[in-house]
Amino acid sequence: MGSDYDVVAHGIGGAKDLPIPPELAIAGAVAALTISFTVLALAWRQPRFDTASGRPAPAWLSRLVEAPGFLVGLRVLGFAVFTFSMAAAIFGEDSLINPFFGMFYVVLWVGLVPLSVLFGPFYRAISPVRTINKLFAKISGSDPVEGIFDYPDWLGRWPAALGLYAFVWMELVYPFSNQLGPVRLWFATYVAVMLVGGALFGNRFYANADPFEVYSTLAGHLSFFARRDGRLVLISPMANLAGVRPTPGLVAVVGVLFGSTAFDSFKDSNVWLTHTQSWDISPLLLNNIALLVFCATVGLLFGLATAATGIHDGQPRWLLPSQYAHSMVPIIVGYITAHYLTYLVFEGQQTLQQASDPFSTGADWFGTADLKVNYWLSYHGTLVATIKVAGVVIGHVLGVVAAHDRAVALLPKRHQLTGQLPLLFVMVGFTISGLYLLFAA
Amino acid sequence: MTRVGKLAATGIAVVLGLALSGCGSDDTGGATTETKTIVITVSGDTITPNGDRIEVAAGQPIELVVTADAPGEIHVHSTPEQEFEYVAGNDQKFDLTPIDRPGIVDIESHTLEKTIVQLEVR
Repeated sequence: MGSDYDVVAHGIGGAKDLPIPPELAIAGAVAALTISFTVLALAWRQPRFDTASGRPAPAWLSRLVEAPGFLVGLRVLGFAVFTFSMAAAIFGEDSLINPFFGMFYVVLWVGLVPLSVLFGPFYRAISPVRTINKLFAKISGSDPVEGIFDYPDWLGRWPAALGLYAFVWMELVYPFSNQLGPVRLWFATYVAVMLVGGALFGNRFYANADPFEVYSTLAGHLSFFARRDGRLVLISPMANLAGVRPTPGLVAVVGVLFGSTAFDSFKDSNVWLTHTQSWDISPLLLNNIALLVFCATVGLLFGLATAATGIHDGQPRWLLPSQYAHSMVPIIVGYITAHYLTYLVFEGQQTLQQASDPFSTGADWFGTADLKVNYWLSYHGTLVATIKVAGVVIGHVLGVVAAHDRAVALLPKRHQLTGQLPLLFVMVGFTISGLYLLFAA
Repeated sequence: MTRVGKLAATGIAVVLGLALSGCGSDDTGGATTETKTIVITVSGDTITPNGDRIEVAAGQPIELVVTADAPGEIHVHSTPEQEFEYVAGNDQKFDLTPIDRPGIVDIESHTLEKTIVQLEVR
């Protein structure tokens, strides 16, 4: 494969999905628009999503999940997968059949989203860097929860936003994202930064600075599960979502997640391809600029739209963007579903197949080496297109509903309607652009 | 939650309804046996076509006709991948193994690192 710049759409992968049919894209856009304004006109005037709601989980489930062995089991599982991937990265061959690429770009990056939406903050439970930090603490007799310093509140989730940006840059812009050396170096740097950060600031560092944990915990707020005082509770996903902690840097996190996915679609569009190939400027520079512009535009538009409202006397306006930022989470998850569905299914199978022979020696560790990738979804284009549009529209509706609920909680009565309008327009804009990109892909 | 549920259900219903009503309109015919010929010209740093979309039917035979002023290599990113080496000269013909799986398949110049054509296999 060498330095072939265009081989990799997402780090790895061959054929891409066909664009969605225009009538479906238009249908989705109309649905998003109509429902948005219906929510605004008809919905409740008192906040309904109570983060303290929910009921205790059934006894059998609580017993299972709260058992010490369960958490240890998850840590062992996470660490086993981590060790396996590291072994493939260090001792495996530098070729695209090395399962490390699939473990990194597909299982970790994409698989993290459905697992978190289904089971809650999943990466936190299996995080290998938390496990190593815990082991270090045990050996040195210190407390893994506490570091040497207090994690500064003003830093919030900014480190995670930076880490996520480093990941998407590597995946979408960096020309050698399909070569073992650089990807391994990226991951080694991640592990090193996480271990130093954990030693300095304790576990609060991971909740704010680990890009994968922050992403997973955000997506996990759409699950039916939450923990309160160590007990498992079943909670409505909308109430769960309202419990996202607003911190500095949260808007940057959602900006990077949504902006980079949109950029990935845009980069694959024929318009961008034919134009960049005709210009004399290097595609690498153009892609660097475009990724930054996409992420910054999403973050800035969101920030401006949430802050452009009448407020209570003395209410800090600059806090508004992060107080609304949770409403972007369903929009991101919906768009990720549309963007990565077939990639996860196809490349996931491919990774399972490659994992059986991690060192390219012809081994068959798990009996999956001869697995044939099932491309059923490729032959059912209308189904795939419908799932994509449904994902985007449902994500949009949940986002609008979450934002509405927050608006009636935060804003003075007379500004509640007008105060929501800018954000509603921006969200509709995001959704229609997203659908357009799926159509133009 | 009931109101939210109703709104979400309405949205899904609208999308599904329109999807089903539009269903089938994007399915273009069955297998075409007529060969699709793609003429490629390489001259210095320029290649034509320049990343254009070309629609082909699944399984349709595809032929590349290459005219180049220097030797080079073309990659077709189907599954499995296909590679063709050409020399300096006119009208060199290459037959692609027909692509059965619908999707977007890039045909790239490995030498110039540019996308020549995006096949829209339907």
